Amino acid sequence: MSQGTAVGTIYQQALEDYVPLLERPLPEPSLETGKLLKQFHPDYIDSSRTRLETGVNRGDSCHVQLAQILQSDSRINEADLAGAATINTDVLVIGGGGAGCAAALIAQQQGAHVILATKLRLGDSNTVMAEGGIQASINKEDSPQSHFDDTLKAGHHHGNPDLIAELAMDGPDTIRWLIQQGMQFDLDEFGDLLTRRAGGTSAERICFYRDYTGLEMMRVLREAVHNSNIDVWDYSPTVELLGDDMKGCSGAVISSLKTRKYIQVNAKAVVLATGGIGRMHLNDFPTSNHFGATGDGLVLAYRIGAALRDLDSFQYHPTGLAHPYHLAGMLITEGVRSCGTYLLNNKGERFVDELAARDIVAAAIIRECKEGRGIVTEDNQSGVWLDTPGIELRQPGILRKRFPKLMRLGDKAEIDITQKPMLIYPTLHYQNGGIVINEQCETEVPGLFCVGEVSGGIHGKNRLMGNALLEIISFGRKAGLAAAKRRKNKRSSQLSIEHLNQLRRELTTAEISLDYQGPLLFPEYAKFDLDLDYVGLHRNRRSHRR
Amino acid sequence: MSDTKAETLNQVLLHPDRRFGADLETWLIDIGGEGLEKAIEDPGSILPTIRTANLLGLGGSGFPTHVKWEFIASQPNDQNKYLICNGNEDEPGTFKDRILLKETPHQVIEGAMITALATGVNQIVFYINPEQTGSLEAMKEAVNQWDETRYIHQISKLLGRPLEFYVVASSGHYIGGEETAAIESIEGKFPFPRGKPPYPAQQGLFDLPSLINNTETLSNVSHIMRNGAEWFINQGAGAAHGTKIFSLSGDVLYPGAYELPMGTPLSELIYHHGGGMLLDRELKAVFTGGPSNTILTPKDLDVPLDFDSVQQRRSSLGTGAMIVISEGTGIVRRVTEYVSFFANASCGQCPSCKTGTYFASQLLTRIDSGNGSRADLDTLINLTRILPGSGRCHLLDGAMKLLDSSLYHFMEEYEQPLRSS
Repeated sequence: MSQGTAVGTIYQQALEDYVPLLERPLPEPSLETGKLLKQFHPDYIDSSRTRLETGVNRGDSCHVQLAQILQSDSRINEADLAGAATINTDVLVIGGGGAGCAAALIAQQQGAHVILATKLRLGDSNTVMAEGGIQASINKEDSPQSHFDDTLKAGHHHGNPDLIAELAMDGPDTIRWLIQQGMQFDLDEFGDLLTRRAGGTSAERICFYRDYTGLEMMRVLREAVHNSNIDVWDYSPTVELLGDDMKGCSGAVISSLKTRKYIQVNAKAVVLATGGIGRMHLNDFPTSNHFGATGDGLVLAYRIGAALRDLDSFQYHPTGLAHPYHLAGMLITEGVRSCGTYLLNNKGERFVDELAARDIVAAAIIRECKEGRGIVTEDNQSGVWLDTPGIELRQPGILRKRFPKLMRLGDKAEIDITQKPMLIYPTLHYQNGGIVINEQCETEVPGLFCVGEVSGGIHGKNRLMGNALLEIISFGRKAGLAAAKRRKNKRSSQLSIEHLNQLRRELTTAEISLDYQGPLLFPEYAKFDLDLDYVGLHRNRRSHRR
Repeated sequence: MSDTKAETLNQVLLHPDRRFGADLETWLIDIGGEGLEKAIEDPGSILPTIRTANLLGLGGSGFPTHVKWEFIASQPNDQNKYLICNGNEDEPGTFKDRILLKETPHQVIEGAMITALATGVNQIVFYINPEQTGSLEAMKEAVNQWDETRYIHQISKLLGRPLEFYVVASSGHYIGGEETAAIESIEGKFPFPRGKPPYPAQQGLFDLPSLINNTETLSNVSHIMRNGAEWFINQGAGAAHGTKIFSLSGDVLYPGAYELPMGTPLSELIYHHGGGMLLDRELKAVFTGGPSNTILTPKDLDVPLDFDSVQQRRSSLGTGAMIVISEGTGIVRRVTEYVSFFANASCGQCPSCKTGTYFASQLLTRIDSGNGSRADLDTLINLTRILPGSGRCHLLDGAMKLLDSSLYHFMEEYEQPLRSS
């Protein structure tokens, strides 16, 4: 964590000082929201921002680490494709999370031949980590209009209204589709969907299944994919997209980690569903993200000419576990705050409306820690309390009943969370921006579709809880439908990675070193040596490390 | 960049001050009309001037332009005669005509008008690739602008028949760039190349005498008339005359269209104007003009890029397209790509071409994807021996020439991915 030498009360001392209380008042905010964000939110740290020098978004503001990987050299040369097997398909889906599965299922249903290539295994994704739930305006008192308004507002009015309208309107039908696939939701005594309110929203709109909604979603999607004719390629990271003579995208170069060979997949449509960037650990933050979230899709799409947006906006989830060290960054669902749990500083005081938008809560936590009102562990991790014993006092039994996953996390951390609070600190959670898409998930590159966290425009500069799960299914289905429509197109005869020449020209002209290669594929601390274990990915032996 | 070299770049056809699109007024204020005035004053002087200048066909043939013109001029003038300005341009790596048509349409049109005066042609057809919408639009607009000038009436009077322009979108097929295929296409038919004879000069478009010149060739005409043959001769380097637009692409730092003196060495084009090899890699090969010619290799870097000198290296300058390949690029994949292009482009008239290019592309694909055997490679080698000369047009020969030379220079790359069995 980028906290320098942390100041605050020592963890053990703070734990002894802690007393569970039934009620605690919320003091008036001492700083207006805009100033709070500017002073304390990591997106606003000047030294972490730069301007892109190459590509479609030249001149745009971008996080330094992301800029480095967006302006990196490719891992491959044309000669690497000599002798590579070539496989034809209608639709190639890259990514094995919820978005990829939804797109693949719909495309296949439309009659397209579909290959789903995933870097690790089907379901190894952030989808399974999503705990809180999925938004859909299904309640009588609620409406898609309110959902639209909440989403636009939470994104600080930076979102694309057309995309948000699609998302909000499609919410109820998305839930219906998920139920048809066999997904379970928590129900009330009448069998109606239970809902709760997410931070920054105006209505109870979150549908959920315990505190592992995403895991349940992935369970049914994975079963559906396995029971279809979709070809699933595990351990097959995509190292480059294939261009064609019409400046479009017509497939991809995939590295099979099993055979250590490249495979050229010619496809009439490519759906990128590669997820986010958490494992790049921007500003050295811990992350709640899955091991594979290394921003590959952004790099691939940018090189082939797709425009990106909001590259300096990321979501730091307010409640990442801060202690013990080996679990740092693990996510604690917003659902815990939704049902009324407080956040406390070292004086046992509340300091922010726990249900404000995520960026505000995160900035407030960072402020407490920076100003010495945090709690500091032996490992120099600081954080604030998540007052779980308090909610247990107000609603006895709720933790065990509604948050079994949180209880397990407490067990792992050796804390009885019904008696003792949990130390939390914001964790790098979500990439708000991404590849520019339209309502059909089309990018500016013909044949290239994007869906999920890799795409941008829906969440503006800040995402609401539950909108990510809705997005991946709602837009995943749209992407599958739109991609399948291209199956009757004539296959381009001139497929190549010629666009890499343009990339290398731009890098050379901008005097950017070509020693750094992307996409990252695996986090830099991966427990194996890419150079040695996966020779195929590093033919020319340039280091992928900075 | 040394000054002398800077002075040789884009001096005539691609002069930066003349690339303003369909604006006749500006063209006429600049140098436009001067060549045409001279031609109108003394139509008899055109042919001798072009002959002295020895303007060659810049669409790839390198055939002396005046020879073609003299043949058309000798045809009786009591009938319509056609000039087809060939702007079909569809071969991989060539992108010069589209620039001339879109950015300097009046340069092309004025050249065509002078050609008409010299040969007695009264019907001018601009035959343009439909994919290049910018070129088509610019030419349509530009042609209309001439209607209001006195030149049209003066030329019509001299010809004894009205001078008429047509802007026609080609079929977009590669083969439609072949002379007789272009004629078929303009007649509204599929662009099947015709057998020769009869040659288009005798029986071309609608069975009338037809002259077919490349866009770049015609673009030179007004400048030659304006400045004289001597000037044109001096534009070349060494023994070569005039300038040539080279379409430089592939693994160089600055790809693009460069107009340079005909006879400029390949090394100067790549390392000076092209900014050198991308990532400073070693040069491996250059696919020239089409890419239906013998591959050039690093030992040919000194070759002056003119028709004769390149011919002496057993290759051909072709359209002036130079696709540069660096070490780190697989030759087999590139050749597969180009031969597949020719296979798709084959019109299907000649069985040896249709099946031959298709079979060759299948064998190449198999070898490139690591599934080829020694027998496949032997078959491929055999094809390069038996197929050339068996098609009506140049397509099959070009594909085989490319394949043959890649086998000659890079046999180890074909052998490497073969299945061990």
